[in-house]
Amino acid sequence: MKKKVSFSKRKVIFIYISPYLIVVLGLLSYLLIDNVSISLNGFRHPTLKNYISTITDPLFLTVNLNTLIWVVSCVVLQLFFAGIIALLLNVDFKGNTIFRIIILVLPWATPDVVAAVAWKWMYNDMYGVLNDVLCKLGILKAYLPWLGDIGLAKVAVIIANVWKGFAVSSMIYLAGLKTIPRQLYEAAEIDGASVWKKLLWITFPSMRPLILTTVLLTVMWTFNYFPLIYIMTGGGPSNATDTIVTYSYRQAFWLLDFGKAASLSTVAFLILLVIAIVYTTFLIKEK
Amino acid sequence: MSKIWKVRILAYILLFSTLFFVGEVSVAREKLTVWIGGHVVEQETGWAKIVKDFEASSGIDVEYRLIGFEVYYSKLITAFEAGEPPDICFADLGGWVPVFASHGWLESIDNKLDQWKGAEQIWENLWPTVSYKGKRYGLPWYTDDRALMYNFKMFRDAGLDPNNPPERWYEFLGDAMLLTNPSKGQYGYGVSGAMSEITTLGYMMYLFEAGGTLLSSDYNRATFSTKAGLDALQFYTDLFLKYKVSPPATLSYTEDDYRTMMAQNRVAMAIGGPWSIPLIEMANPAIKGNYGFTIHPYLKEPASVLGGWATVIAKKSKHKDAAWEFIKYITSKDVWMWWIDQYRGPMPARMDVCLESPILSQDPKWKVIIDIFPTAHIRPPIAEWTKISYTIQSMIQKVLSKKMGAAQALIWGKTEVDKILGSE
Repeated sequence: MKKKVSFSKRKVIFIYISPYLIVVLGLLSYLLIDNVSISLNGFRHPTLKNYISTITDPLFLTVNLNTLIWVVSCVVLQLFFAGIIALLLNVDFKGNTIFRIIILVLPWATPDVVAAVAWKWMYNDMYGVLNDVLCKLGILKAYLPWLGDIGLAKVAVIIANVWKGFAVSSMIYLAGLKTIPRQLYEAAEIDGASVWKKLLWITFPSMRPLILTTVLLTVMWTFNYFPLIYIMTGGGPSNATDTIVTYSYRQAFWLLDFGKAASLSTVAFLILLVIAIVYTTFLIKEK
Repeated sequence: MSKIWKVRILAYILLFSTLFFVGEVSVAREKLTVWIGGHVVEQETGWAKIVKDFEASSGIDVEYRLIGFEVYYSKLITAFEAGEPPDICFADLGGWVPVFASHGWLESIDNKLDQWKGAEQIWENLWPTVSYKGKRYGLPWYTDDRALMYNFKMFRDAGLDPNNPPERWYEFLGDAMLLTNPSKGQYGYGVSGAMSEITTLGYMMYLFEAGGTLLSSDYNRATFSTKAGLDALQFYTDLFLKYKVSPPATLSYTEDDYRTMMAQNRVAMAIGGPWSIPLIEMANPAIKGNYGFTIHPYLKEPASVLGGWATVIAKKSKHKDAAWEFIKYITSKDVWMWWIDQYRGPMPARMDVCLESPILSQDPKWKVIIDIFPTAHIRPPIAEWTKISYTIQSMIQKVLSKKMGAAQALIWGKTEVDKILGSE
């Protein structure tokens, strides 16, 4: 049974975390209010001009669709691979630690810019290692222009991001897997449960809260992730890999249209806020 | 603690405080902050020497930063927007100065230029690039123009004479097709197709070569939706789509990528300029003497587009006179002659250095670049330029990615540019 925290103890906890809370909330509120103010061309004579220009922009639909494809593909694939890797690394075998470092720490610890440049070179259509390997394996007949084709560029940035991002989810899963009591599996084995049934009836239910939290975090991170796309494709070719974030960045820092960039950022914030509220409500209900 | 010790401690505190404040006063010289963008790291020692010599001769301290081109623009915009710009910064001659001036970020240096003799030596066609509404806001420092860079070895291997490069579009296309061999990963020409200002410049070259113009002389409307504009767009994109003389990932490449490919004997011809010389030789020292420049092939008339960098003074600077002394110093003939002696480039914005420096005047590569310079076109010096350039890039990408045909894309581009300029 859960022990209830007394009121005085809660007060102490609140006092301890309040400086952090004040700073974070203050900073966030300031940035948010400032952003909304820029998007409305100031609070004195607010206008929805920037929002109208954003929504009527023919690229608005494209970047939203791109963002949806980017987020859903990356999150699904990252969680899938993260789960498999975590399950494999949860098995005790010699050299497990080394594998764990190579598989989990390497992609995660590689700086974004370095990873993006490395992937860009690997995808090169003249001397990229990926084309070379695929041709030597007989999978491809000729080198592909990975970053120079509308469809392939989307796939290319998603693959790179899955490699870069699965490690964090995998680490969280691995930590979760370590907390499941071994006795549960032993009891299931005595009852003659198969590997699949153990996974379905013990592992998944025990990991459910962790999986749900990781999904929310991965959605947020992927939605806001900028450097990989920006360095690999710059949002191209022909806006094929432009997401709300890269498009908003371009509006601000290339075209100096800070009003439109701010309105795009506000839209992105609202989308994430809705996802977070719906998802958190669902999590609370689950609990 | 004894009374003597208390007095001693007090005396020490007084002594240190006095020394501290005296020291502060004695070293309180003017300090300039300078951001140098678009330079290669290899030139850092050159800047260190120039700054040191300036500090010694002027008594003004300079804190300078060399910033890579990739992040420079956004860093600069953030600094200006936040109201914390450096006293002096470098601004690309491709429309940055009028854009910054239109936001009220720059100080006009018209009066200072009128009183400085060195201004007469600046190439005449550079002044519009640093002007906004009739006032000059920058002093051009170095410049460049664009020509055709080509690989001698690939020409010879394909049975072509490197001493007889193509002059007209039809010769150029024939040569490019002969030089293309996809099975060997070799291509005749590199079409810039990525979302970049370089792609806009590529199209502008072809447009002027076809006898067209980009905007009206009062910069009020687009004028490229003509036969010349269509010829240029069709030919530029056909090089990739129809004749396939440019690599498959053309949509992700610019001339910077093609320069590296040329160094590896993968791309035989590409647009280049004086900045390409040290970079291609750095990518492959063996290419030295095995590549050259010629005027870019044309349909009706030879053409080029110029670029480069200017120094500008921030309106918010508290050291405007000191800033002017610094930019005057780095643009002086002596400093430039020394720089060229050290680095053999880029092309000085000063005519006297270009014509008198033996390094520049005797090299055949430089001869092509300097000869075409007086007729090189500028990018429209208007605040809307970045948006127009972005539209042109989108127009080209629409054709290269087969979303639109050249004629349809041209009309789309013209309509969008007219909207930006407010003429529609």
